[in-house]
This record gives sequence, structure tokens and C-alpha cells, in this order.
Amino acid sequence: MICNQCGERPASVLVKQKRNGQLTERHLCHVCAAENHNLNLAFEQDPLAIHQLLSNWFPVQSPSVSPVKKEVSVCPSCGFTFNNFLKLGKFGCANCYEAFESNLEEIFKRLHNGNKEHAGKIPASYGSTLKIKKEIEELRKQLKASIDAEEFEEAARLRDKVRELSKELEGSANHGD
Amino acid sequence: MAIDRFLEPKASSWMANEGENTDIAMSTRIRLARNLSEFKFPYAFTEDEALKVDKAISSVLLDKGNELNQEFTHIDIHEISPLHRELLVEKHLISPHLAAGAHAGSVLLSKNEELSIMVNEEDHLRIQSLQSGFHLQETYKIANELDTLIEENLQYAFHEKFGYLTSCPTNTGTGMRASVMLHLPALTMSQQITRIIPAISRLGMVVRGIYGEGSEALGNVYQISNQLTLGKSEYEILQDLQNMTEQIIEQERRAREAILNNSPLKLEDRIYRSLGILTYSRLLTTEEAAKCLSDVRLGIDLRLIKNIDMSILNELMIFMQPAFLQRYSEKPLSPNERDIARAQLFRERLKEEYKINGDKEGEDSE
Repeated sequence: MICNQCGERPASVLVKQKRNGQLTERHLCHVCAAENHNLNLAFEQDPLAIHQLLSNWFPVQSPSVSPVKKEVSVCPSCGFTFNNFLKLGKFGCANCYEAFESNLEEIFKRLHNGNKEHAGKIPASYGSTLKIKKEIEELRKQLKASIDAEEFEEAARLRDKVRELSKELEGSANHGD
Repeated sequence: MAIDRFLEPKASSWMANEGENTDIAMSTRIRLARNLSEFKFPYAFTEDEALKVDKAISSVLLDKGNELNQEFTHIDIHEISPLHRELLVEKHLISPHLAAGAHAGSVLLSKNEELSIMVNEEDHLRIQSLQSGFHLQETYKIANELDTLIEENLQYAFHEKFGYLTSCPTNTGTGMRASVMLHLPALTMSQQITRIIPAISRLGMVVRGIYGEGSEALGNVYQISNQLTLGKSEYEILQDLQNMTEQIIEQERRAREAILNNSPLKLEDRIYRSLGILTYSRLLTTEEAAKCLSDVRLGIDLRLIKNIDMSILNELMIFMQPAFLQRYSEKPLSPNERDIARAQLFRERLKEEYKINGDKEGEDSE
């Protein structure tokens, strides 16, 4: 068998690739196989062809089919439409997140095992307010858990902490932070 | 030129192979994706914006790098030749995407090559921290310190609910991808890896071999990384990945023991044949070299081979790629000539190693 790619050398490697559940098999010679794959393991390729996933979840409606419902979300700052986003699988700018927000929850949930909210690092420049808010949220969750587990001492401790932080939050709001 | 040192076929420190579990975990990488709030992202920005982003980020790193005891070299992607870009790609210092040079972009490299900051790749910033061995928390700490330094000087695109805003929705949130490179010959030989890969993907992590999906990974090297960037803190993500990686390492150890107990002679034969090929062959393809490297690596781990240092193998894995071979031969090479040059590279490098450590086989010196 001759290599599927260069059509010159005999094929010696069978490259199987699974994308979106579709298995493709290519017979390549050792040269093309090496060039295709090139040991670039350290840099992640898109693990899944993201734009394909997105268009599966949100079939792009052709305007001719539904001429009435024409208003599509357009990002006011970069001009990306929601369809642009689906096709490319990428955002054009930070404001796209606000412009497409109504659809994002669904997308994030599917991409991140049901999660849709950030729970990690917060840049210091976004102020202590947000940090405190997130901390209170987290403490409330723990509080509920400890009440459910009937660990009332722990619950009381957590409740006091929530109160303390809430006061701090009000304080900073009053000072026009 | 200042960049020359990064193009030399010298080992970066992350190839050094030091630390715990290095027999199986080869290197750890943390990548943080960040964007500046003031500019459109690379899929939508203008060339003028691209230049401004590059300038803003570069000047912070060049001016303030010393606060972290780091000295960065700035390399403009459009100012270096395609071969030089390719060399940086093969050394994993930049991505193929950045090397394509679609718009103004650059990379800032720390002296020891453990930190690489790509500007205007898919995001304005891709902070990458690389360490040899298995050190997730420590590698993250280095990336995080740099991230904090940049954040003190520039305004990041950040959203109360979505976290760090990135071009791709698969990175939104922490913008963090943590990965560990694992050498898993025994799990591959016993085909257990084909069961492990799908099981892990259900837990928000992913294992990939070089051939994308599976059991035929080049050189039995796999990469395990987190897939989730929302809903968990960096610490939790790293912890999950740590636990999973430890389990895989443990399973690999057990699989090695099983093979060694069941068919020691067959395994030894395979390892020494591969050592023979690397030491003496005249034509060496990438596949064959990768396969033999894996066997010899295993031979060193099992203390059958004692006169070759593991770090040499890590180097050879990088330097056997097309652009480095071209540099080594000092001329462009056809695919066939590359196989010749690759064989020569291995012969020379291993001969040097035997000169230093003696060419007696491990079993003779016992």
C-alpha cells in the first residue's frame, strides 16, 4: 500500500484518529507520519474540534428559514455575531461574554462537566469586594453542609464568620470602595 | 544575536530528569491563558492593537522581571527565520500556532528556559512554566508569581462569574492547563492504557498520546492534563490531577513488575536490541528512534542499563526532530537524509556517553 499523504513511499504506519466519535484511518509512510505528528506533545492541540461541538449543540439557523426571528446577538465592541462564535469556536473580545451571556451557561456546562462559574484566582485589581463576596458564598455552602451534618458548633463558627465578612463588605461599600 | 542561546542543541533545565518519580513522570507544565481588558482578542484584533499588546506585555516583563529574579529575552516572531521558529517549536518553547506568525507576536524566555510567555498566540498572553519531573504545585507557583506580577501592572480581562476571559470557551475560568508527561511502556505493552484513557476522561481530565487517541503513542509517551477550567479552584484542579497521576504511576509500576516477573528474558532482549539499534544503526526513522528510546529508558529504570544517563535520552528526543537535525547537519535535509543524520546523531551522542561512563553493560559490572 502506498502512503495516503505523499503518494510516493510505501505506507508503514496506520494512524487512527477519533474525532467527534468518527474514526478515521490513514495509512502513512514513516516520513509523513513523523511529520504529521512531530513530537509536539507538549503543546495541547484542541482536544476536541470545539467549533464542531458548538454547531452540533446550536444548529446555525439559516436566515431564509426563519426571516422573522432575525435579531441575532452581536457583540457591540468587536462585531462578532453569535454565529461567528459558533463557527469559529472562539470569542472575539471580552465583551462577547456579555453579549452572548444568555447562551453561555449551556455551553460552559457542557464543556466543563456541569460547571458554569469561576471558582479560582481573582486578580487583586478586581478589588477586595469580589473576594469577600466569593468567600461568603463559599462559607454559606459550608454552613449549610455543617447544619445538614448536625455539626452545630462548626455551624455557629461559620455563621459568625459570614456575619463578620458581611459587615466588612458593607463597610467597604459605605466608604465608596 | 541574543536568541542564539535558545536555539543551541543544549538541554533546557526541564529536560534534566531530576526529582521523584522521574522514571515515569518526565516533565510538568502549567499554562495560564490571559487577555488584557483594553484590547480585542487575537481572533478579532487589528495589527495595530497586536503591536500595542506586544509592547505593553513585553515592557512589563523586561522592566519588572528582576522582581522575580528573572531575566527575560524578547524574541519577535517576525524577526527570526522559519528555521529558528521551528527550532523553538521543537524545543517546546513556542507553539506551532505562534510560529505560524499570523500577526505581530513574540515570546519572552527566561534564561533557564523554564518560563516562556507567548504574546498574541490564541490569547494575548500564554504564560508557560516547565519543570522536569512531577511537580505540579511548584510549577504552578512559578507561573502564578509571574501572573501576579503582570496583573499588578496591566488590567486583565476578568468577569465576576466567568473568571479569566479567554478566546476559547474551553479555557474560560482559571485559564489554566496543567499537564504531566508520562512514559508508560508497561501499561502500553499490556494494553491496559486503552482502558485507562476513557475512564479518566469522565473525570474532567484527559490523557493523550502523540497519535491523538491512543494505544499507539509515539515512544509510549502520554500527556495527562485537566480539561475543566470552571467550577474548581486552581488548587483543586492540581490536586485532582496529582491524585490521578499518582495512580497511573502506581499502575505503571505494577505493570512493569508483572512483565519483569512473567517474561524477564523477553523484556531484556527487547531492551538490548533497541540499545543496539540506537548505538549502531545507519538509518533511523522517527518511529523507530522513539520506540527504541522508550525501551532504553525502561532499561535504565530497571537498572539493566547503567552507563547511559537518562537526561541524554530526553535531549535526544528533542534533537532528533527535523529542524534540529537540519541544524546539526548544517544544511536542509530530504526525509531520507534525515534518517541518516538521525542515526549519526544517536551514534555520536551515545559513543560520547560510553566514553564517559564506560561501555560495559550493566549486567557485567555487577
